[in-house]
Amino acid sequence: MLRLTDVSKIYEGKSQVKALTGVSFAIESGEMVAVMGPSGSGKSTLLNLMGGLDVPTAGSVEVAGRDLAKEDEESRSLFRRTHVSYIFQAYHLMPTLTAAQNVALPLHIAGVPRKEVDERVDRALQEVGLGARDRHLPDELSGGERQRVAIARALVTGAALLLADEPTGNLDTVRGAEILALLRSIHERGSATIVMVTHDPSAASACDRRLEIRDGRLVGDNRN
Amino acid sequence: MRFLLSTLSLSYATRNKAKTFLTLLGVVVGVATFSAIRGAQSTLVGGIRSTVDRMAGKAQLQIAMEGGVPEELTETIRELPGIRSQSPVIEQVVVPERGELGSILVLGVDLLGDREMRDYSFEGDDADLDDPLLFLAQPDSVAVARPLAKRAGLKIGDPLVLKTSRGLRTVKVRGLMTPKGFAEAFGGNLIVMDVFAAQDLFARGRRFDRVEVRLADGTTLEEGTRTIEKAVGPAYRVETPDRRGAQLEKLITNFVAGFNISSGFALGIGTFLIFNSFAVAVNRRRRDIGTLRSLGATPRQVMLLFLVEAAVLGLVGGVLGLLAGASMSQSFLKLMEQTSEQVFGIINASEAHIDGTLAVQSVLLGLFASLVGAWEPSRAASRIPPTEAFAKGSFQAKRGPLSKPRVIGGLALFGAAIAFTFRPPFGGNPLILMVMGLCVASVAMLASPASQALIDRVAPFAARISPVAGRLAADSLMANPRRTSGTVIATTISIGFVLGLGGYMGSTKASMLRWMHDVLTSDLYVRASANFTNPDSRFPASFREELAALSGVRSVESYRGMRITVDGEPAMLGTIEVPLMMKRVKHDFLQGNDESMLRGLSERGEVGVSDNFHRLHRAGVGDKVTIATPSGTVSFPIAAVFRDYTNDRGTIFMDRSVFLRYWKDDRVDTYDVNLISGADIGKVRDEIRVLVGGRMPALISTKREFVSEIGKAVDAFYSLVRITVFLALGVAFLGIVTSLLISVAERTREIGILKALGAVRAQIARSVALEGVALAVVGYVLSLPIGLLIAYFMETTVAEVFAGWRMPHQTPWGLLTELAIALPLVSALAAFVPARPAARTKVTEAIEYE
Repeated sequence: MLRLTDVSKIYEGKSQVKALTGVSFAIESGEMVAVMGPSGSGKSTLLNLMGGLDVPTAGSVEVAGRDLAKEDEESRSLFRRTHVSYIFQAYHLMPTLTAAQNVALPLHIAGVPRKEVDERVDRALQEVGLGARDRHLPDELSGGERQRVAIARALVTGAALLLADEPTGNLDTVRGAEILALLRSIHERGSATIVMVTHDPSAASACDRRLEIRDGRLVGDNRN
Repeated sequence: MRFLLSTLSLSYATRNKAKTFLTLLGVVVGVATFSAIRGAQSTLVGGIRSTVDRMAGKAQLQIAMEGGVPEELTETIRELPGIRSQSPVIEQVVVPERGELGSILVLGVDLLGDREMRDYSFEGDDADLDDPLLFLAQPDSVAVARPLAKRAGLKIGDPLVLKTSRGLRTVKVRGLMTPKGFAEAFGGNLIVMDVFAAQDLFARGRRFDRVEVRLADGTTLEEGTRTIEKAVGPAYRVETPDRRGAQLEKLITNFVAGFNISSGFALGIGTFLIFNSFAVAVNRRRRDIGTLRSLGATPRQVMLLFLVEAAVLGLVGGVLGLLAGASMSQSFLKLMEQTSEQVFGIINASEAHIDGTLAVQSVLLGLFASLVGAWEPSRAASRIPPTEAFAKGSFQAKRGPLSKPRVIGGLALFGAAIAFTFRPPFGGNPLILMVMGLCVASVAMLASPASQALIDRVAPFAARISPVAGRLAADSLMANPRRTSGTVIATTISIGFVLGLGGYMGSTKASMLRWMHDVLTSDLYVRASANFTNPDSRFPASFREELAALSGVRSVESYRGMRITVDGEPAMLGTIEVPLMMKRVKHDFLQGNDESMLRGLSERGEVGVSDNFHRLHRAGVGDKVTIATPSGTVSFPIAAVFRDYTNDRGTIFMDRSVFLRYWKDDRVDTYDVNLISGADIGKVRDEIRVLVGGRMPALISTKREFVSEIGKAVDAFYSLVRITVFLALGVAFLGIVTSLLISVAERTREIGILKALGAVRAQIARSVALEGVALAVVGYVLSLPIGLLIAYFMETTVAEVFAGWRMPHQTPWGLLTELAIALPLVSALAAFVPARPAARTKVTEAIEYE
């Protein structure tokens, strides 16, 4: 499903920052993987590279057989549209759109017919337990509910790769546990590959496998 | 895309109502000014044509001469072969005592013979025009067009008081005309009276304004024209009404061109407001853009989203601007009509209207301007990497694109603007728009790096002025170079326009005043008409002796001006007693000198020409000017070329004796009266008043009054440039206010953080105000080269292309000082207004703001 080979990422600026150095690993289809490491270790950079939001300075990032490092911005966008979904720590919901509209957003971007959009949005919201809150604005929802909307938005496209960046980082323990349980059940019900960046060992323990990053290098790869 | 527009875009617009309104205002102001000016302009030109055509009726040819056609000429024409009928005409615009009725066109015609030319459509059961002899027997008889009669509440037998050069005169309504064809001329504000009664009423002496001719069947226009020209001589213009309309249009070409420039400016400024607004919108919506991109939106989709938003704004603004323009159009038309009558003696009265083509053009221009303005910000939005979009403040803190190619490109564009300023490859409006466009483009490219360099230097001063608020302002300025660049670009371009146009206006006015000070050195000026270019009344030559005989009068000079045509182009002929004039006037010679001027004009019958005539006709000392006179076509050698601002189409000067020899018309427009040293001006003026009392119309002005009156005529000519300056100034302030409103809104989070760190309200408000002041100062400094270049360009190249003048450049110190004081004050005020609510924001809310 996903193969990183000798990936390095360097940010140029006033001073050069080596975010990743020689990282290589592979993730099979249907796996649920946690990427762990301290702040600034390169976890988010790794996630961005896996989703094609960014390209490596060196090495290759193969997702579903395509080397994203060699593709241009436009084709990576089109690839993301159908193959990758994101869940962010800060949710990144559009504040002026209702829950249903937020979930529908990627489908509209992809030009899916309206009738199909409504059906798929309805299904995704039901799946995360927010069927009754579809007309609420993000401001009217709790943190946990907002993250559920973000998860529904990730699910609605049916992408095979689901990337989550600290999905429980903004939530209290109870809500965090609920979100993890939801992700776990999504994983068990379907065949999506989930990669989750987290600080939280309990979140990592919900995954099948744990990759550890420190100072931009892969220092551990363990199965739970 | 529809979903994104109806949700994301619409919600952004509703969340940012003030900003959306200001962006829309940019398009509305631009389109409104454009459509109002263009609508008024086309109505004016169409109205002039229409009035000429309607007034002409069935007349095929018109015979005219500056100063009027002598009565005897009708005898000559009557005898010519191929002439079916002829009719003398006097045409005069008067203002009635009831000023609310507006200007009225009085047409004096020979009512017995004129029905061959025009259908008067006299109407009414009680109209006594059934008996034209009775109408003619009463010289105060007039027939009034029904629209005017209706507005004035006039019926047969009612009196109407008119202001004439001889004072108030009462005429009596003895006929009404239906508003069709001829009676629709001059917007229906028309009165017809007997031509001989009009001669008396308007002090025309034994002359008509023109004679209209209808040719016999079988006589072609060419044959008729040839026959008449041969009989009357070259001094007379024999032309079709259509050609006369075209000639009148030509006279107002420069004036009309000024309006085109103004409408271009307005649209350009509107475009920039849109650019500024969209640049900021892209900044504010980075996180949304990042989210869209992470959800699979392509860069093209993002760009399209912003462009469609711009298109919607452009269309809405275009339509609103069109509506505003339609209501403003009449005011512009009135201004144009007043000026064309006052400065050029061309009359018109129409209701301004915007036709379908102009309406479509205006809306499309709004759309185009909006798309142009939004293009670069939209492109920038599409290029935002999604990973960067989520990093709070990382973009704002980034330095602007200081790439070498950008700086080199900006410098190259500015260099091209300078090159075109000094050596234009072509002329007219395209040249002006090109130079303005190059200036704007160079500012857009250079302002960012230049403002960053300046801000780095200005900011520490702010910190020194006020240790806390100044430090905060300085930090904010230096930390957000992208945001500040947008404001600086808007300010620079707007102030550049203000400085350029204002500087040009100031320079032109100063040059003209200086020139008037040098030329108008007589103590009193006695004029027969208030109209400078096309006097409707003149003095007899014998009046000079009467004036000279007054006690206290040292000498009297007789000035006579006349519109002529040289090589098919309109020009002015000025005549005076040159030896007398040369004793008191100091000329600024380009070619020749006092000696060659005096001897050439007074002894050898040569002419002197103005500097603009010299440039427009490429004629100087050693060349000859060919002029059609009543005595034949004469070529006059040029003795001198000197700076002169009498007429924008060029002026030829000759001695009065030479004029009398060829034109045989001794009437005088203005007597320049020079007094003996120590004579009481007031007393002499009173004596002149007694002398002219009741005999002839006369306006008696002192030197200062005369200069002031001419100054007003000059102001009227440049009225629109002045409006444009105010418009640009208004938009400059609007730009600063918009930018600062947005800037402060963007800083809400920062302000929250500052408050959390212990900053008090007053410190925050002061820091925002100081930031505004610093931005205005930077914009002001950067606008100097652009503004001064535009001013120089207008004073030299543009003035030369249009009028042949090259105004000596003057740095507009007054304007620079005014702006240096006003800009920081207005900026502080503009910043302070949004700073107050921002400073009151709760810390927790402010920190969450985004």
